[in-house]
Amino acid sequence: MTRNPPAAAAQSERLDKELREAPRTVILVGNPNVGKSVLFGALTGKYVTVSNYPGTTVEVTRGSAVLDGSPWNVMDTPGTNGLTPMSEDEQVTRDILLWERDYACLQVCDTKNLRRGLLITAQLAEAGVPMVLALNMADEAASRGFQVDAPRLAAVLGVEVVPTVAVERKGLAQIQAALPGARPAKLSVRYDQAIEEALAVVTPLMRETGGLSTRSLALMILGGDDSLRAHLEATLAPAEREQVEEARRRAASRYPESLRFVISKQRLAVVDRLHDQVVVRGARSAASDLGRKLGSWSTHPILGVPILAGVLFACYEFVGVFGAKVAVDFLENQIFYDRLVPWFEAAVRFLVPWKAAQEFLAGPAGVPFREHGGFLVGRYGLFSMGLSYGMAIVLPIVATFFVTFSLLEDSGYLPRLAVMMNKLFKRMGLNGKAVLPMVLGLGCDTMATMTARIMETRKERVIVTLLLALGVPCSAQLAVVFAMLAGVSAAAAAWFAATIVMVLFLVGWLAAKVIPGRGSDFVLELPPLRVPQLGNVAVKTLARIEWYLREALPLFIAGTLLLYVLDRVGGIAWLEQAAAPVVVGVLDLPRQAASAFILGFLRRDYAAAGLFLHYEPFVKAGTMTRAMEVEVVVALVTITLFIPCIANFFMILKERGWKTSLAILGFILPFSVGVGATVNQLMRWLWL
Amino acid sequence: MQERKLEELLEAVFAEREQGRAEVDGVLAHAGAHAEDKSEADFVELESMGLVRRENGRVTLTEPGEKRARDVVRRHRLAERLLKDLLELGESTVESQACEFEHILSQEATDSVCTLLGHPPTCPHGEAIPPGPCCSATARTLRPLVTGLPHFELGVPGRIVFIAPKFHDRMDRLAALGVIPGSPLRLHQRSPSYVIEVGETTIALDPEIAGEVFVKRV
Repeated sequence: MTRNPPAAAAQSERLDKELREAPRTVILVGNPNVGKSVLFGALTGKYVTVSNYPGTTVEVTRGSAVLDGSPWNVMDTPGTNGLTPMSEDEQVTRDILLWERDYACLQVCDTKNLRRGLLITAQLAEAGVPMVLALNMADEAASRGFQVDAPRLAAVLGVEVVPTVAVERKGLAQIQAALPGARPAKLSVRYDQAIEEALAVVTPLMRETGGLSTRSLALMILGGDDSLRAHLEATLAPAEREQVEEARRRAASRYPESLRFVISKQRLAVVDRLHDQVVVRGARSAASDLGRKLGSWSTHPILGVPILAGVLFACYEFVGVFGAKVAVDFLENQIFYDRLVPWFEAAVRFLVPWKAAQEFLAGPAGVPFREHGGFLVGRYGLFSMGLSYGMAIVLPIVATFFVTFSLLEDSGYLPRLAVMMNKLFKRMGLNGKAVLPMVLGLGCDTMATMTARIMETRKERVIVTLLLALGVPCSAQLAVVFAMLAGVSAAAAAWFAATIVMVLFLVGWLAAKVIPGRGSDFVLELPPLRVPQLGNVAVKTLARIEWYLREALPLFIAGTLLLYVLDRVGGIAWLEQAAAPVVVGVLDLPRQAASAFILGFLRRDYAAAGLFLHYEPFVKAGTMTRAMEVEVVVALVTITLFIPCIANFFMILKERGWKTSLAILGFILPFSVGVGATVNQLMRWLWL
Repeated sequence: MQERKLEELLEAVFAEREQGRAEVDGVLAHAGAHAEDKSEADFVELESMGLVRRENGRVTLTEPGEKRARDVVRRHRLAERLLKDLLELGESTVESQACEFEHILSQEATDSVCTLLGHPPTCPHGEAIPPGPCCSATARTLRPLVTGLPHFELGVPGRIVFIAPKFHDRMDRLAALGVIPGSPLRLHQRSPSYVIEVGETTIALDPEIAGEVFVKRV
């Protein structure tokens, strides 16, 4: 299942080799949106791999660099605000620092946000991690009238402090020179007596892990870090755990707030003192004011709306129209069906001269591939369907989406988008961040399901996945929806739209009540708006496409294989037979609708299926009756609510696991038919 | 019975009920320092005064008892907020002083403190402060020194006095962003979400969380 395309395999082999040979590692750490990945790109150059941190859906990027004449591994970590994690991203960063050995940290800090950067520096100092501090975006800080006395900061911390402008590669040489000599910073925080007493008990009980000092581990434990529970249970005897718990309880009883908060607060007090020593404030420049104004307009309750509409429209045009229609048409028909498939078929016939084997692989000669069941080239052929599906249909959507996503991410608009949409999505038990997968779903639900990862809690991911599969029509469904709605009255179209919107809100609201867990708190940092760096967008996009090819392409191949077998044993015809009574009896639809549902789900061929051809002459002649319009609305509602395609289901399976996937399937199947039947009855009663 | 002792006992019954308990022994164990040589007999006396009811070792408040208990608890917890967040005294001083204040503050002074603090919903320990007559929206005539973010002016420099979150981890999350009591703050907008600027960091907040952040002008 983890087959790499040859080029990527060669690349990652080469990288693997370099990584094995490199004796030392540098890990980039920093708050979100401080330009870590740009600095990472500048340090590492071309060969970069993106992979999920084991057991999570968080991306970690690795590369290599030559520093001081010797090879180093370089790792980029998700942005974090501290070593005591508040989210999965932050936990990944902490775990990397905890379990890696013999590394140096390159802490990247947003100069104008030095205070929050130093909060991390203080924790790295507590952990005894050798480090170099990069004061990035020094230009942006200067234009805001923010000057940091770097030599003085370096003298206090006892580590190299380098002002950088990563996007212009300024300061890069100094960083490369400083990293081999990285050493732990001297910024020790002495806590209140109660906390120090507890630390004196807990610290000696901690075991060295490689990355972080025992004092820093003890502080995490006192702060009530649940993610370390397993580690504690593995390394401490029950009596020792009891001692730790007792010390924690005793310290906690001294403060009304949580210990974690008290620790942060006392750290911040030390950081604030240092901050005031090294920061000089001057006047803002006019350019920075424009950026700030634009930033505040983009979240303004009135001005923000046209900006939001413009951005969403541009995203839809680029991903939904250019990616999902123009590029897909071109790749699917011009490249795959007209050229690659015939060429591949010819190659198979040339290489496999035996007639029986030829027919098994590529079907009888002279018959169009959609009309036979060849294994490689055929209706459900691995090449003609599986590969063309993954490469010609989904890849363009994925690529355009990744470009859009990187642009939104790097420009700083993404969180503002969430701010604008927050109220709407609250009603569906989600928060504003969910707008992204939802809009993407209009292009391809399969892809969108993958991006449900940007939601913070499992509960929200499940709701997004469910709503995508249920109510967000993908481009294939939309094409049919638009084509059919053009042929019916405005009232019928309104019935359709109202039903879908109502279902989305109702199911979202209900799911939020039923699915256990808490939604995440909407506390979101809004970075300043910036012009995205095209180089960085390109690197990110390429790395993510490679990841897509590795993770999702096998799913499309596997789905095709299943269909092939199903087709061979007559399962598809049987499914159509089985669905017919439901379609005819429950939904009052003509028999052809059954094959539209089944083939749409399996092959994404909604338009080709008989149902829509059935109404075409009436639409053209203008002789659609109201009863027919009801049929069309019911068919469209049911198709939209149904899971868009089999690949989408496989993606749900992969992302959410067996149990949740079956629950989602078990809900959507009867629910979509049930809503269809209800709409049918209501329309006949109220409207006919 | 002495006034102070009476109030301490009623307060203890009220606080125990918040924890879902009503056993006489528990109440006696938790009653404050002013209730010297307290015993079960005291509750018999309180019952005769019509302030509590006793039933199989459990003690509950009557309507007049409830009212007096509420007022004591309200004075105690408001005093804690005042001493801790505004005067920034240490934990032990806060506790001992609050125990004094609860017996001496007049109704008028209590409401003034409450208004001054922007009608805080909870004490520093996260327990609810029973609302007084000043807390209903129509009665807001005095200009408070401390207000929740929803009532703070836009664009005016302010400072966070305290955060009274429903969930502890919210405060941790805010602290990680550098938002703690004492941080300077400016409110940019209230809708569609709250947007605040703390130092050079701009943060969007749910209205629910914004309501838990209390600030004063500087």
